Amino acid sequence: MAEPSTPPPAAAATSGLAGLEERLFVFFDKRSRRRLVQGLLVLAAVSIPLVGDSYLLEILTNSFFYIVLCLGLNIVVGYAGLLDLGYAAFFAVGAYTTGILTSQFDWNFWLTIPAAVFFSIIAGVIIGGPTLRLRSDYLAIVTLGFGEITRIAARNLKELTGGASGLIGINRPSFFGLELNQIHHYYYVFFILVLLAVFVSFRLQHSRLGRAWQYVREDEDAAEAMGIDRVAVKLYAYVIGAVFAGVAGCFFAGKMTAISPETFQFMQSATILMAVVLGGMGKIPGMIVGALALILFPEIFREIGSVRMLVFGVVLVMMMIFRPQGIWPERRN
Amino acid sequence: MTILDIIIQQLTNGLILGSFYSLVALGYSMVYGIIKLLNFAHGDIYMVGAFVGFVILSFVSTLLGDGWLGILPSMILAMTAVGFLGVLIQRIAYRPLLSAPRLSILIVAVGVSLVLFNSVMVVTIGEYKAFPSGLGYEGITMGHVHITYTQMVMVGATAVLMIALHLFIAKTIYGKAMRAISIDMDACRLMGIDVNKIIALTFFVGSSLAAAAGVMAGVYYGSIHFFMGFVIGLKAFTSAVIGGIGSIPGAMLGGLLLGLLESFGTQLPWVGTEWKDVFAFGLLILLLVFKPTGILGRTEIERM
Amino acid sequence: MKRIGLLLTMTALAALLAAGPAAAEIKVGIMVPTTGSEATYGKDMENAIKMAVDEINAKGGVLGRKIATFTGDDGCDPQMATAAASKIVSANVDAVVGGYCSGATLPTLKIYADAAVPIVIPAANSTKFIDLNPGNAFLINSIGTYQVDTAVGLFKKLGVKKIAIVHQGDGYSEDLASLTQKEWTKMGNEVVAFEVVNKGEQDHSALVTRIKSKAPELVFWTAYYADGALIIKQLRQGGYNGKIAVGDGSTDAKLMEIAGKAAEGVYALANPLPEFLGEGQKFIDAYKAKFKTSPGPYSALSYDGMHLLADAIQRAGSTDKNKIAAALKATQGFKGLSGPVTFTDKNLLARSNFVVLVVKGGKFTLVN
Repeated sequence: MAEPSTPPPAAAATSGLAGLEERLFVFFDKRSRRRLVQGLLVLAAVSIPLVGDSYLLEILTNSFFYIVLCLGLNIVVGYAGLLDLGYAAFFAVGAYTTGILTSQFDWNFWLTIPAAVFFSIIAGVIIGGPTLRLRSDYLAIVTLGFGEITRIAARNLKELTGGASGLIGINRPSFFGLELNQIHHYYYVFFILVLLAVFVSFRLQHSRLGRAWQYVREDEDAAEAMGIDRVAVKLYAYVIGAVFAGVAGCFFAGKMTAISPETFQFMQSATILMAVVLGGMGKIPGMIVGALALILFPEIFREIGSVRMLVFGVVLVMMMIFRPQGIWPERRN
Repeated sequence: MTILDIIIQQLTNGLILGSFYSLVALGYSMVYGIIKLLNFAHGDIYMVGAFVGFVILSFVSTLLGDGWLGILPSMILAMTAVGFLGVLIQRIAYRPLLSAPRLSILIVAVGVSLVLFNSVMVVTIGEYKAFPSGLGYEGITMGHVHITYTQMVMVGATAVLMIALHLFIAKTIYGKAMRAISIDMDACRLMGIDVNKIIALTFFVGSSLAAAAGVMAGVYYGSIHFFMGFVIGLKAFTSAVIGGIGSIPGAMLGGLLLGLLESFGTQLPWVGTEWKDVFAFGLLILLLVFKPTGILGRTEIERM
Repeated sequence: MKRIGLLLTMTALAALLAAGPAAAEIKVGIMVPTTGSEATYGKDMENAIKMAVDEINAKGGVLGRKIATFTGDDGCDPQMATAAASKIVSANVDAVVGGYCSGATLPTLKIYADAAVPIVIPAANSTKFIDLNPGNAFLINSIGTYQVDTAVGLFKKLGVKKIAIVHQGDGYSEDLASLTQKEWTKMGNEVVAFEVVNKGEQDHSALVTRIKSKAPELVFWTAYYADGALIIKQLRQGGYNGKIAVGDGSTDAKLMEIAGKAAEGVYALANPLPEFLGEGQKFIDAYKAKFKTSPGPYSALSYDGMHLLADAIQRAGSTDKNKIAAALKATQGFKGLSGPVTFTDKNLLARSNFVVLVVKGGKFTLVN
């Protein structure tokens, strides 16, 4: 607990920005105040569709979608400390499961979600199982390779996936007879997904497993010496991350009604990773800030368009060197 | 074409492809050997090398023509320039993080890759550029097999570069220092070796070799673009792993082997060109899982 | 979000100052990729549309009202395209001209349909539009099947039997490739190789050997010039002496720039390029004078699209969106730069506009 009356010696030397951070922390340290701010944010998010136009809703829905993906990747990269460069592959598994089952086998959209969870787990185990024993940098390249294999397979397995053109005309989901076909429907659907993802992430972070991840991340050998099965613990992170992306993928397919392999290129994985790093690995509010920054920044500064990824790359490098904890500040206690 | 024709043709093709893989793989392996960094941006260094060569050759060719007389000095200039770029990247992005967690430096490497890739994309507006070299495709024809003089020069140039690198590492004091650092960096520091200087030198040499490959690819294929480094980066890494990452002869061998495997693999009736990359990445994954030390790599006890 | 609001207000204000009372303006959305790998094509289209708008406004506009444009960047990506379409719809446009990449354009049709906004599509021409058009999209480029007809017609005329088809693994070129394969085998001929290469790949030696070993009389490349040029070059380098044909995505002067002399004698299918059109030279000159660059392959069609829309609004006599759509549907032989426009009952161009060119002396020339 930082006490306002006696600032720690380091704080005296910090810049004005850090001082502001410090004060904000003190302000939000009270649980009741934090709850109030969270409540206000949720209320604001719920009421936006009443005032915003469809463009604003489209952008925010897209941000929500990336928040879910970021929270999922955060479990792998932030909690367990594993660099995954092929995260888009899991998102593809979910999207294609829904796409194929609804368009070719006439499944109901909602039934495809458990199927997507199942296939995401399988994919997570297949990719993670043999590779999680590897050193972290090998793991990074293996996940990258798997990401590419998934995309190429989606392109080549024409009968099932529609080949390079992908699946077009996927049925939109209905909810108690209401076809979800307006952007504000999806706004709320993805908002609920975000709430769910935040809740699950929060519970995981503070669970036994969450602590095990932290130990493994900080010192793998020590964690093992303490009786943690490091491969199993990593595999859990990997598979749970895969499920997040898989479920998000289902809703993505339902909203877009069209999916093609091009959506799942390496750049997609890199973009999600970037948001995670920018926001601050391991921190839930950081994921929200990171994903929002990633989507809103290019929309607000439309002119920079093609320079967008360049700017993000530079920011990514500078961030790791000067502020490795990300935009969202570290909690100090 | 008879089976024999196909074999000879693919042997040539595989050697050419393998030469490019080897040259890029060397940079991966050298950097990995010395600071245990998987330099993701290395494929993009190859791409930048091609573009630097493109710019230089555009000027040089007005003086010396667009044949080998113009290409050779352009290539040397590009190698030098890109070598310094490699050093600059190492100085700015990697050195501050050498003692940070492995994850941080890996993410920075991805970031550097994005910066290089997108810079070139912005400058070229995403267009393909025709490489201004004027080499013909005259060569030797044996039956259905056609091998151009350019192809022979490519393989020859790769061999020369590799021999030079081998001599540099085996015979010079700098090479000795590199080998020493890869074994124990802290001990080297205590022995008075300027570790930072040697690391910078490693990046210089690795980047130059990638640039050489980039320029050669431009000359050989005749067109370059901003994302040409992505797939070759992955393939070169695969090559480095096949040979045993950290091992210089391993990188050379791995590159040639992958080039040949790919060339022959795609001629199998049931593989087809559309599964070519799956073939290469699948091989990489299997290797990493079952024999992560590769053919010539040292057994690694350390675990991360 | 404030910034967007501010930006919009400022744009509106600027438009107000430039063109008098804002209420009198007809707002037309432009949806093209202005960033990403296809940005060059998108800019060429946007330029041509704006040129048409300037011409219309100089003559007093439509129904006595000036036309104002509003551009949304689809980035040739389905996700970006849906955002762009929402942005355009939210800007309260009366109609839209645009759509270059089929894959990015298809998911936006629903968004436009929900807002009843009619869209004139100058470039995108996947056969998927036949089934997925909600009724508000009007395609003024011939769809893929016509290109297939032109292609197999050409192959037949050249007297070949065995062909190889190569595509690039994207929706557009795969579509053209498999439709051609189907049509060609139906005619009793043989497709000896059906291959795919990755975009941006440089080494095609394995493909060349594979093709040579199957000895086709003609190789048909269905994708774009950048990779096509490399393949043509490597086929010739590798000693392939048969004929080569390319689809409309490859019909670009850059093909010759990259492939050099290897491109000689290559047959190319093309949309109406301005240089081969009656009034084309005038268009090219005006375009060059205005934008200091040559028009792209879809500039003429985009220019036509805007003029067609203005014509339809004139005929509709109002900017009621349903009336504009009805007027577009009723178009009969509208005289465009690239030929007359009449729609089928599926709102597709009722004729093939494909022509066959051949590379001669480093230039495309018309084949009769």
